[in-house]
Amino acid sequence: MLPSYLTMAAILFCIGLYGALAKRNAVIVLLSLELMLNAVNLNLIAFSKYGVVPSLTGQIFSLFTITVAAAEAAIGVAILIALFRMRGTVNVDEFDKMRR
Amino acid sequence: MDMYTQAAWLVPLFPLAAFLLLTALGRGFRKAGALIGSAGALAAFVLSLLIVVERLGEGAVDYNNAIDWIAIGDYTLRIGFEVTNLTAMMLVVVTLVSFLVNLYSAGYMKNDERITVFYGYVSLFTFSMLGLVLSDNLLSLYIFWELVGVCSFLLVGFWYTKPKARAAAKKAFIVTRIGDAGLLLGILLLFWYMPDHALDFTTIQSVFDGQSGAITTGITTLIALLIFLGAIGKSGQFPLHVWLPDAMEGPTPISALIHAATMVAAGVFLIARTYDIFQDSAAAMETVAYVGGFTAIFAATVALAQNDIKRILAYSTVSQLGYMMMALGLGSLTGGVFHLFTHAFFKALLFLGAGSVIHAVHTQNIHEMGGLASKMRVTAWTFAVGALALSGIPPFSGFWSKDMILTAAIETNPLLFVVGLAAAFCTALYMARLFFLVFMGKPGSASADAHEAPAVMTAPLVVLAVLAAAAGFVETPWNGWFGSWLSGEAEAAHGSGVAIVASIAVGLLGLYVGWLIYGKGGVSRKAAAERAPWLVKLLENGYYADELYAAVIVKPIRTIGSVLMVVDEYIIGGLVRLAGIATAYAGRTAARLQNGQVQTYGLAAAIGFVVLVAAIVGRRFWP
Amino acid sequence: MSILQDIPILSLILLAPLAGLLVVLLLPKQRSGWMKTAAIVATIVPFLLSLWLYADFDKQQGGAAYDEQLSWAEIPLNKELQNGVSEFVFKFQYALGVDGLSMPLVLLTALVTAMAALAAVHVKKRWKSFFVWFLLLETGMLGVFLARDVFLFFVFFEITLVAMYFLIGIWGYFHRERAANQFLLYNGIGSAIMLLAFVLLVNTAGFRIDQAGEQASFVYSGSYADILRNLADPNAWVNLSPDQLGGVNPFQMTDAMQWTLFIMLLVAFGIKLPVFPFHTWMLKVHTEAPPSVVMIHSGVLLKMGAYGLLRFGVLLFPEQVREWAAVLAALGVVNILYGALLAFRQQEFKLVLAYSSISHMGIVLLGLAAFNEIGLQGALFQLVSHGLISALLFLIVGSLFERTGTTELAKLGGLARSMPFMSGVLLTAGLASLGLPGLSGFVAEFLAFLGLFESMRWLTALGVVGIVLTAAYVLRAVLKITFGAQREKYGALRDARLVEAVPMIVLLAFILLLGCYPSVLTDTMQTSIGGLFEQLLATRAGG
Repeated sequence: MLPSYLTMAAILFCIGLYGALAKRNAVIVLLSLELMLNAVNLNLIAFSKYGVVPSLTGQIFSLFTITVAAAEAAIGVAILIALFRMRGTVNVDEFDKMRR
Repeated sequence: MDMYTQAAWLVPLFPLAAFLLLTALGRGFRKAGALIGSAGALAAFVLSLLIVVERLGEGAVDYNNAIDWIAIGDYTLRIGFEVTNLTAMMLVVVTLVSFLVNLYSAGYMKNDERITVFYGYVSLFTFSMLGLVLSDNLLSLYIFWELVGVCSFLLVGFWYTKPKARAAAKKAFIVTRIGDAGLLLGILLLFWYMPDHALDFTTIQSVFDGQSGAITTGITTLIALLIFLGAIGKSGQFPLHVWLPDAMEGPTPISALIHAATMVAAGVFLIARTYDIFQDSAAAMETVAYVGGFTAIFAATVALAQNDIKRILAYSTVSQLGYMMMALGLGSLTGGVFHLFTHAFFKALLFLGAGSVIHAVHTQNIHEMGGLASKMRVTAWTFAVGALALSGIPPFSGFWSKDMILTAAIETNPLLFVVGLAAAFCTALYMARLFFLVFMGKPGSASADAHEAPAVMTAPLVVLAVLAAAAGFVETPWNGWFGSWLSGEAEAAHGSGVAIVASIAVGLLGLYVGWLIYGKGGVSRKAAAERAPWLVKLLENGYYADELYAAVIVKPIRTIGSVLMVVDEYIIGGLVRLAGIATAYAGRTAARLQNGQVQTYGLAAAIGFVVLVAAIVGRRFWP
Repeated sequence: MSILQDIPILSLILLAPLAGLLVVLLLPKQRSGWMKTAAIVATIVPFLLSLWLYADFDKQQGGAAYDEQLSWAEIPLNKELQNGVSEFVFKFQYALGVDGLSMPLVLLTALVTAMAALAAVHVKKRWKSFFVWFLLLETGMLGVFLARDVFLFFVFFEITLVAMYFLIGIWGYFHRERAANQFLLYNGIGSAIMLLAFVLLVNTAGFRIDQAGEQASFVYSGSYADILRNLADPNAWVNLSPDQLGGVNPFQMTDAMQWTLFIMLLVAFGIKLPVFPFHTWMLKVHTEAPPSVVMIHSGVLLKMGAYGLLRFGVLLFPEQVREWAAVLAALGVVNILYGALLAFRQQEFKLVLAYSSISHMGIVLLGLAAFNEIGLQGALFQLVSHGLISALLFLIVGSLFERTGTTELAKLGGLARSMPFMSGVLLTAGLASLGLPGLSGFVAEFLAFLGLFESMRWLTALGVVGIVLTAAYVLRAVLKITFGAQREKYGALRDARLVEAVPMIVLLAFILLLGCYPSVLTDTMQTSIGGLFEQLLATRAGG
């Protein structure tokens, strides 16, 4: 069973990665980040069930990740709104403040 | 039984205590300086005298005692003292001259504002010199050897505001340091070759007895020559003599104490102390003899043309030290030490007399003096005694010791005998020139209001004059007492008629010629200058030894230094800057990747991650 | 048994400056007087403690009685468990210790820092942060000498770097920022190499097996004792070939590895020492940093390089040192002569002293290259001696600059008249620096030369030439300042104040003591050097 879960997670992760790296719209980038996190969660749970040493740690950890992901999403969106107010756009190409 | 001998370690402590006391008191106590300094030297002298008296009897045993200094592994370096008849004699000479100079300085330095500092330095010097004399091994001797050097440096530069004094002090220290480096290497060599790494003189004596063969001749010669290099530096032998005439920038009592009677003789003492090493190596002995002989004649000729009263005496000292070296090199330990003994008295006397003259006329140029005999009777008489002793006229002390050296020369090395005679002639000549120009004839420009020095200065002169006149009788061609006392073996009295006659003859001839030129005026003084001006110029400048050193050593070192400075600044420093620039450049290049696009950064991170994973996974397939 | 063995004396010494740091932090900003007092007290306490420790230092035990060890963090390692081994862990530990090598240097550090704190009264701005960095620097230095764990050593080493960076960069002279940057860049490179070497070292040799009944745990750590034991023991896994261990030996340290480590350590500590041609960073620091910091820099920080070379180079890789003895000696001679020749040409007194430091560190290299007990003692003695002498010299430089506003030789002269005391001290320090017997420099030079002479005659002779050059450049500079006609504008200068005179006298007293009676120091070094060294040689020869 494990390989199929892992394959699924890998596909999800790659989609997320692609979205995070290639999409222009910042909202989509944030969504893609969530996708990647969820791919990780999937891995954690899969290992906690079918791993060499099955234990509950993986599931607890995934709960933990979900919490963190929620917090992260909140902060991300907050920053995004602040940026949008300042620059009037959600296009990530325009956000190059870090250059200076 | 030998109570005083066992207490010999106390001798240097008196002047050391005086030094510490003077340093602690500071400059405020002007009066205390002379008192404390002289008291320290006097106490040391009394004890030294008691030691010698105790040892005059038959069969005095060498006594030594030492404490641990550093322990290294299984071996311990020790510091201790040893009393032999040689060291006992040196103790008396050093403490006596030191005491007299202390006394004399009370008058000579009276108006100097740093008189307590002066006395502090003199006491420190006396301590160091006594330590040197008493040392029972080469290492502690070296320690004190350096200390006397630094005291000499401090006292030469005593009038530190004079640029000349500063230069002279520096020169004295650095030039002698060249010799010291040689001595240090000699000690290192000895340390690794001696059985049990022993450095004390007793063991050295037993190892270098000419037959044990523990150390090969080649190494022995090397050790001896390195030790001799130290002696060359300290005793102003050619080619390291250049510092001694310049050292005359110091106060005159110092010239008498350090640069005539004691410290400069330390080189001779060193060789006498390690004589067994030299005796094991014919090559080393010859080197010592020839360097000494050459220095004797070389410096004597230079002294002929000098115009500064102290520089004449300085070159004379160099020449006489050459004599001592020659004696040692010729195998006459007694001759060398004996000459050291008499020379200490008459040269100290001459310097102190010169100081008395300078004190009166405030110049050192002998052409500005003249006719001082009538105004300064005591100085003139005592100076005459010193001059006669130096010129080797019987019965004054210098005659006996010089005769002994010439006797040794005629027996072994006729060439050096001739050199010695020539040097003796020059000696008599320049002393006559000095005496007649300063004390006889018409009063010079500076001698108008000259007056005799105070009693505190003339008393030491008289004491030294008595010694300079009489000290020679401890060893005469028909009485070898001094030699046998020194070596501990009965020495046959010996003398060579030829040597005696020749030495008296050249001495008198030199004085006569001097009198003809500078006293009676029978021969024009300008004769030499007119016929061979280059020769006079050459002698006046001491054969241009200073200029030669400047061109051959000082200049190249400066040049190397300058070149290295450029190298350091531009090549090595340049590499550093290059490293800096390269970093900055790399930073700028990398900064271009920094476009502020989060997604680019993310991509870079992702690629990096993939590469890492690939590397880790790929390692499995690596052989 | 003494009371010191029952209390964590090493930690007390190490933490005393930190406590002082906290006090300084809590003091109000304007109270510079309080702050200075607190800082001085905070430096004097470790000095007194280490003096006590030095007096108590039991020579027979080599100081092992004071060892302190605390586990900091344990990380289980996921390694395949082998027969009998129940767990693999990596331990970060806080391990302190002293032996004859570090004891003199701890005392030197505490002494020089206390004196520098007194000299820091010249600091004109931002006292608070100055003393904070200053005390942090002291903690770092003491930690370097006390640490018995390579990672702890590294941490303290880096602390000194950071503290020095700010001390130079904020309180230095005109080009201070450049100097600070160059200092950080160069030493950073050194530290990076050092860290890499340490990691490699721990990875191969930093392990021990704790046997507890049936259970054995396999512990990796930076413990110096473990590394030393593993490297020195011919039967340790590190020194066995795979064949001797039945075909596979993942722990073997190959010759190539040993050489790599040795050269990396040589470069890392050589930069700090500094060894020619890595010396240029030091010149800037000497000229630009404030005098009290240069006292520490030249008095203690340079010694860290030599100490590292001794502890990690010579003691861990004796064979490599022996094979490279000629290289080390040649580097030492180059240092001596190069430093001396350049010092001779400098117009700035601080640069003369900087190059003189290079020259004197050459003697340390000679002592190490000698590779015998005498030489090592000489090297260590030189560390202490040069630490004292250069601290004293820079103390005087600071006071001098305070009065004259310059340290250029051409502008100075005749100061002996207006400042007899300070000139006297300067002259004495100069004489000590040129190796006058009776002062500490001579003993160090003599021992180093004596040691080297056994194996390398000609290089020693060349090094001895250096003592003549040293005399020339020291006297040239010192006499230029003190002797000669007095310049009018310096007529009214006052001699040393009490707060300046006290550290000068204390340092001078130590220099004199070591020069006259070196056993005070050599007896302490003796046991450790002799013991470690003989043990090393014996085991190596056996294996």
